[in-house]
Amino acid sequence: MEAALQTDTHAHGGGHAHRESFIRHYIFSTDHKMIAKQFMFTAIIFLFIGGAFALFIRWQLAYPGEPIPLIGQLLPSTWVNADGAVTAEWYTQLLTMHGSIMIFAVIIPLLVGTFGNFAVPLMIGADDMAFPFLNMVSFWLFPLAGVLMMAGFFVEGGMAAAGWTGYPPLSAIASMGQTLWIVSLFLIGFSSIIGGVNYITTVLNMRAPGMNMFDLPMTVWAVFITAIIIVIGTPVLAAALSMLFMDNFLHTSFFMPADLVVATRDMSRTAGGGQPLLWQHLFWFYSHPAVYIMILPGMGVVSDVLATFARKPLYGYKAMVFAIIAIAFLGILVWGHHMFQSGMNPLLGTTFMVSTMVIAVPSAIKTFNWLGTMWRGQMEFTVPMLNAVAFVSMFVIGGLSGIFMASTPVDIFIHDTYFIVGHIHYVLFGGSLFAVFAGLYYWFPKMSGRMFDDRIGKWHFWLTFITFNGTFFPMHILGVGGMMRRIYDPTVYDFLKPFQPMNEFITINAMVLGFAQFLLVYNMVYSWYRGRAAKRNPWRANTLEWVAPSPPPHGNFDVPLRVYRGPYEFSSPESVQDFLPQNVPPEEVVAQRARHEKRLAASQTRDGGSGE
Amino acid sequence: MLDWLPENVSVFGEGVDHLFSLIYYISVAIFILVNAIYIAFIFRYRRKRKGERAYYYHGNNILEFSWTALPFALFLFLAFYSDGIWEDIKYSDKTPNPDLVVEVMGQAYLWHFRYPGSDGIFGRRDSRFMATTNPFGIDPDDPNGKDDYVTINSMNIPVNKTVLVHLSSMDVIHSFFLPNMRVKQDAVPGQWVDVWFNSIKTGKYEIACAELCGSGHYLMRAVLTVQPQADFDTWIDEQYGSVSAALVAAGSPDQKNSSAPAATTPAVPTK
Ligand code: HEM
Ligand SMILES: [Cu+2]
Ligand SMILES: [Cu+2]
Repeated sequence: MEAALQTDTHAHGGGHAHRESFIRHYIFSTDHKMIAKQFMFTAIIFLFIGGAFALFIRWQLAYPGEPIPLIGQLLPSTWVNADGAVTAEWYTQLLTMHGSIMIFAVIIPLLVGTFGNFAVPLMIGADDMAFPFLNMVSFWLFPLAGVLMMAGFFVEGGMAAAGWTGYPPLSAIASMGQTLWIVSLFLIGFSSIIGGVNYITTVLNMRAPGMNMFDLPMTVWAVFITAIIIVIGTPVLAAALSMLFMDNFLHTSFFMPADLVVATRDMSRTAGGGQPLLWQHLFWFYSHPAVYIMILPGMGVVSDVLATFARKPLYGYKAMVFAIIAIAFLGILVWGHHMFQSGMNPLLGTTFMVSTMVIAVPSAIKTFNWLGTMWRGQMEFTVPMLNAVAFVSMFVIGGLSGIFMASTPVDIFIHDTYFIVGHIHYVLFGGSLFAVFAGLYYWFPKMSGRMFDDRIGKWHFWLTFITFNGTFFPMHILGVGGMMRRIYDPTVYDFLKPFQPMNEFITINAMVLGFAQFLLVYNMVYSWYRGRAAKRNPWRANTLEWVAPSPPPHGNFDVPLRVYRGPYEFSSPESVQDFLPQNVPPEEVVAQRARHEKRLAASQTRDGGSGE
Repeated sequence: MLDWLPENVSVFGEGVDHLFSLIYYISVAIFILVNAIYIAFIFRYRRKRKGERAYYYHGNNILEFSWTALPFALFLFLAFYSDGIWEDIKYSDKTPNPDLVVEVMGQAYLWHFRYPGSDGIFGRRDSRFMATTNPFGIDPDDPNGKDDYVTINSMNIPVNKTVLVHLSSMDVIHSFFLPNMRVKQDAVPGQWVDVWFNSIKTGKYEIACAELCGSGHYLMRAVLTVQPQADFDTWIDEQYGSVSAALVAAGSPDQKNSSAPAATTPAVPTK
């Protein structure tokens, strides 16, 4: 643990300049801040790819069989028909890639890769991650995996087309694109595990002197617990993917029963005796915890942003920490709620329903504590705050819709309908992605050394917020109407025909939602070069990253650090300001107060005629 | 919102819908309550004057405890309340005695329905005989199977009778979805699952596939016809007549090698 030893002695001076080559600095960098930026850059590219896919999907659902406007004719004939309309084959690939990209190449890399890397070492006062080289490896596996997944475009049969859940036998009798998908997820999982080990070690070993676990900001707690979930869950996914790979390639039968009748594949080489449901158990044993991998860091970021801009201590800090731990633990016990209608023994439905209802409790605790944080605060509605506030209320909707699905009899009807699609977008977009926006705006000054444009940021927020709800809320109604997920053309069914106007409404909102995201990119790129220079601590926050220069140099801090208090001492009566950074010594606080009082007294006596 | 639900015509569907509306009203109440507080806070506690301080306060354990205990009690209540209805629908020991048994086989992208013939007995199945021409894998050696008949994408049942479906799939996972019956059950290859329902109203209803099964997933539509018992009997006799006619047409009673049971099965489009 050489790096760990360094922290005490390692106080890089501001002028400490490493002469690095371009390649070392921008490409194979081991600096956690550069790696965070690389994660961010790559994930945002994928955000736009995944978003474009979603818009093709939406176009088809609103106007089934009609040519894609403007670009329909330009797309290759394997994707669109002669008129330029999406084909059913391509549609299925699009929905698979949309889900897989958004989950594995956007949300996880943004929340864990970007914020974990950028914020964790800075917030604990470390000069870098514990294993900088592993960190670099963890990053580089990710674009590699992304490219492999997209490579499905160029192989026969196209991209993977079995949904992001990849249920066999469908995924085990599939084309080359599916194999690429398997390998890609395997690599991403590998990257996650490496990253997870790194975060755990960093948080445990590299905290600034004086900082104990209950002095950690919620973002760090959340990433830490998330890393533990990753390390527990991801190997299971890796095992399942390996088996699926073998079923595809070596004709093994982990998930394959005997005597399947499949026109596209010679099944005589598959002995059978396997169980399709085994995949679902293994997949959800990872993927249910994975939904928490995708929300816990967001909850952490939002907690920090809310406290900072409410100028108030986080309400119930310890309860918040224990709620995260409870979610992580219970999250391992609820995977079966994705399988209520799968043919698994209904007795298990009962058990998994009870555990699922219980896991809603810590989510409720967190919501109430966020409300408590705002209570009697002095809220400043900056752009990060707006996004954090939106997170809370969107998360409430996502949590409440979860209750419907947790109730097994109701789930009979809404399982595999648009109700689920509504739910996952309220938690993953309304939740995770709004948290990502909050974090991006919050740390932008620290990352770039410049302020973003407030006006564009607000436009981006309001446009996103309104069209997000316009896009995803009606999906609950479609689900109540019974509209199945993953169908290419709802008008095939008489009972779905009345919903076509709603589908068009959703698509129009989705278009605006998609294009509104260019505002984010424009704001980031423009402000990165042209923005107003940022101070060290533009938000007047308490955590350690704001002690470092903006942007922090290699090695992060130019002053020695020691931590004296928790991260949420806002509006403390001890302090003359309405915040109290973690690293200011108590003597200094007292001295500041004394100076302040003296100044006050002086200005009062000055009114009486005698100055100092 | 609940008005958008397709009409329920199933006996247990009432329980499902009842629970749906219960949770709906609870959620709406919680949503309004939380958001009302939230919006009130947003307006009440926004910074109005510079220099004003927020209330320095770290939390309150009694509050913390109560907002843990209340949701806990509510959610556990919902779990146990739901479970009663779930057990009635899904537990095999609570399934009512069926008046009619139908086997359903999913195949990309259609549904096969198999009725026992006039003998009321299904011929033996063996997955080794499974083929596009014999989706259920009916053993050609079993005389009971000779009069079984198989329809594609259309299912007939009598009204007010308990129908038990044996469900499976011959290729990938499908999901047998009858919106008006509040039935959804995955059809898993290599595994037979039982589902039952009882329709209280005659008419034609749609059957869909709810699990992604390939690019033709959306095409997997079948029609359920719920008839009065007399009409259903007539329908059954017609089907039976066509099967026996086919048997006669096929000639000799010695049919060891032919696939008579599949005689009513039109050629199945392979994908
Ligand atoms: C109050 C807490 C929650 C409850 C009770 C809950 C419950 C459920 C249930 C029962 C399902 C399965 C529904 C079905 O397929 O029939 C589900 C699906 C899902 N949930 Fe949640 N959930 C909660 C929170 C979350 C959170 C925080 C996330 C992610 C950040 C999340 C992400 C998902 C996803 C991605 C799916 C869909 C998976 C798929 O089939 O593709 N949920 N949820
Ligand atoms: Cu889950
Ligand atoms: Cu299907």
